[in-house]
Amino acid sequence: MPSFQFMRRKFQTAGMTHAIFLSLPVTLFAVFYVYPIISTFNLSLHSWDGFSPTPKYVGLQNYIVLAHQSRFYHAVLNNISWLVFLLLGPTSLGLLLAALLDRGMKGQSVFRVVFFLPFTIPAVAVAAIWRWMYEPTSGLLTTILQSIGLGSLAQNWLGDPSIVNFALMGSMLWWTTGFAFLVFFAGLRNIPVEYIEAARIEGATPWQVFWKVSFPLLWPSTIVVLGMAAVDAMRLFDIVWAMTNGGPAYASEVLATQMYDTAFGRFEMGRASAISVYLLVIAGLIIMPYIHQLAKRVQEAEAE
Amino acid sequence: MRNLKWIGVALGVLASASAARADGPKELWHYYAAGSEKAGIEALIAFANKQNPDNQIVGKVIPGNAVEMRRQLQTAFMGNTPPAAYQSSMAFELKTFVDSGKLHDLSETWAKIKGDEIFPEGVQRVVKVGGKPYGIPYDLSLINNIFYSKAIFEKAGLQPPKDYEGLVAVCDKLRAAGVEPLGNAGGPFWSLYNFYAPLVSTVGTEGYYKIASGELGFDTPEFRKALELYRDTMVKCYAKNWSGKTWTQTADDVVNGNTGMFMMGAWAAAYFKQAGFAPVEKFDVFPAPGTEGKAIFQMDAFAVPEGPADTLETAEKFVISAASAEGQSTFAVPKGSLAPNVTVDPSIYDAVGAKFAKQLADASKANAVLPNLFFLLPTKVGTELGVQLEKFAIDPSDTNESELISTLESLRQEAQAEGAYLKW
Repeated sequence: MPSFQFMRRKFQTAGMTHAIFLSLPVTLFAVFYVYPIISTFNLSLHSWDGFSPTPKYVGLQNYIVLAHQSRFYHAVLNNISWLVFLLLGPTSLGLLLAALLDRGMKGQSVFRVVFFLPFTIPAVAVAAIWRWMYEPTSGLLTTILQSIGLGSLAQNWLGDPSIVNFALMGSMLWWTTGFAFLVFFAGLRNIPVEYIEAARIEGATPWQVFWKVSFPLLWPSTIVVLGMAAVDAMRLFDIVWAMTNGGPAYASEVLATQMYDTAFGRFEMGRASAISVYLLVIAGLIIMPYIHQLAKRVQEAEAE
Repeated sequence: MRNLKWIGVALGVLASASAARADGPKELWHYYAAGSEKAGIEALIAFANKQNPDNQIVGKVIPGNAVEMRRQLQTAFMGNTPPAAYQSSMAFELKTFVDSGKLHDLSETWAKIKGDEIFPEGVQRVVKVGGKPYGIPYDLSLINNIFYSKAIFEKAGLQPPKDYEGLVAVCDKLRAAGVEPLGNAGGPFWSLYNFYAPLVSTVGTEGYYKIASGELGFDTPEFRKALELYRDTMVKCYAKNWSGKTWTQTADDVVNGNTGMFMMGAWAAAYFKQAGFAPVEKFDVFPAPGTEGKAIFQMDAFAVPEGPADTLETAEKFVISAASAEGQSTFAVPKGSLAPNVTVDPSIYDAVGAKFAKQLADASKANAVLPNLFFLLPTKVGTELGVQLEKFAIDPSDTNESELISTLESLRQEAQAEGAYLKW
């Protein structure tokens, strides 16, 4: 039986080692994550143009002003629309494409690259490409619709406030489906063949095999894809800013672009910080219960 | 020990790198990233460096626009590493930095270049804050002209209109000929710039400055009348789907013969030329109705942040070169803009550029040189005016008109209460 002294020394040494190893990530987390959040919250209680030496304390005024602005609520609603879209759109299409390729169709390796390729393009380049695709008179989309006799369906894609968000979502679908596809495809490939075979021997149809065997076993992949989609919806910025700057007339604005415009377009750092705090709270309220629930189900699945 | 030695080496490299940064080249920040404007700034830097061999300056592109520049500058000021000089918009853009004590007073440099003599009065007032100059003008473009395709006008037997009735009549004829009458583009600037013509026509030069100083409200009958004039003339003329296009896409429509006219800043002339659409031969310009004899302009100036003596010396020598007649033409010719310096020989411009130069000179004599209202207003009011105007131009309904007026008027009152307005 080890002596008390030995145990204490061992504990101290192990504790020191853990502390040393932990110190770097904890410091990085505190400096680059916790401190900016606290600092942003502090700034949200001030009026500051970003340059003057002393910000002026205004209490909760920035939060109150935002809470009375229709522009702010419009951006919140847009973020929620994006959340719904990103959870359903690229996820479903990615799953469909992965399931189709998993059936061992011809030219699989080519399609795999084709489906994933858009995801490797930087956001600004995607925006530039789609800005031209959506040109309302002679853009590719309008031209194709006109050439197949569906010219009446052509729209003022990025210039009509009632259309612009759908147009942006279309480009996002093209851009991000590759990620969902890749994760689902890898997930499908990891499912043991015996399970599929057993189901087939039992007389299950391909439809039943997919929904009763493959899909439940894809749960870890689904969590990754849905989790990323939810986070992407909340931090959405680049594609919107690069394609429309949140316009026309705020129609496609989301909270992150509104924050950027308020900070650097209008020199209102305090109000922009309040928007970012609201965004943090909204993202937390929407995403955290969802992540928690999904993580719990993974733990249960693993325990089984 | 071995690891410690490597850490020491790494720290040494970092220290020398930071020392090199401090003694590094003096930078000029700008957002001229491509095309004719990039050629212009590069030519100007080369010219200034040749004139000042002991005070070399290096250009650095900040990708984007004025907003991106502000973001970069803010970070640089926080880190106490601002550039030697940078491209700045005029008026309120300068004032914000001046108020925070970040900019160097250029009074001595201004006296050396005789700024009060070489720049028109309307130009001077938007680079001076509290009577002191903080920017050296170098890149001026008029924004109150309408470009038109000569082939389309000739085919339809049309002449450039002189007034709003004439403009609407031309639009009707162009539409009947299957051509979109007047191009515009999406974003908060272009509809606003178009609106200045009906605004000046309604409230006059004095009223324009009264709006800039916050004395004339957005809920006044005059402003409402200007909105309605804009709605009944220009908005009525706008091409289908204009709001979904960038200004270059609309310029392409003019080049391709789909659109007859386009009210855009003078930079469109450089774009047309690059697209093989020759000035006077293929396109020409006329002042927007109500702005004949006037020059509404957009301008950039060089601002110089406070800094160490040697950096200030380099910056000052650079802006002196940039303000000279030779420096201004070195930039203006490749860029396709106007030199604000009135001593620049007008023969440097092409036929359309010469028209702009004459327009500026005539307006200067008549004291009718008007700076872009966007930059005369407190930043948040100017930005909101642009957004609301775009919304109104897309859908000029009574609801949008009322919303525009109430939103802007409450912002005006808020800015007035904060003492944000300035008499330029």
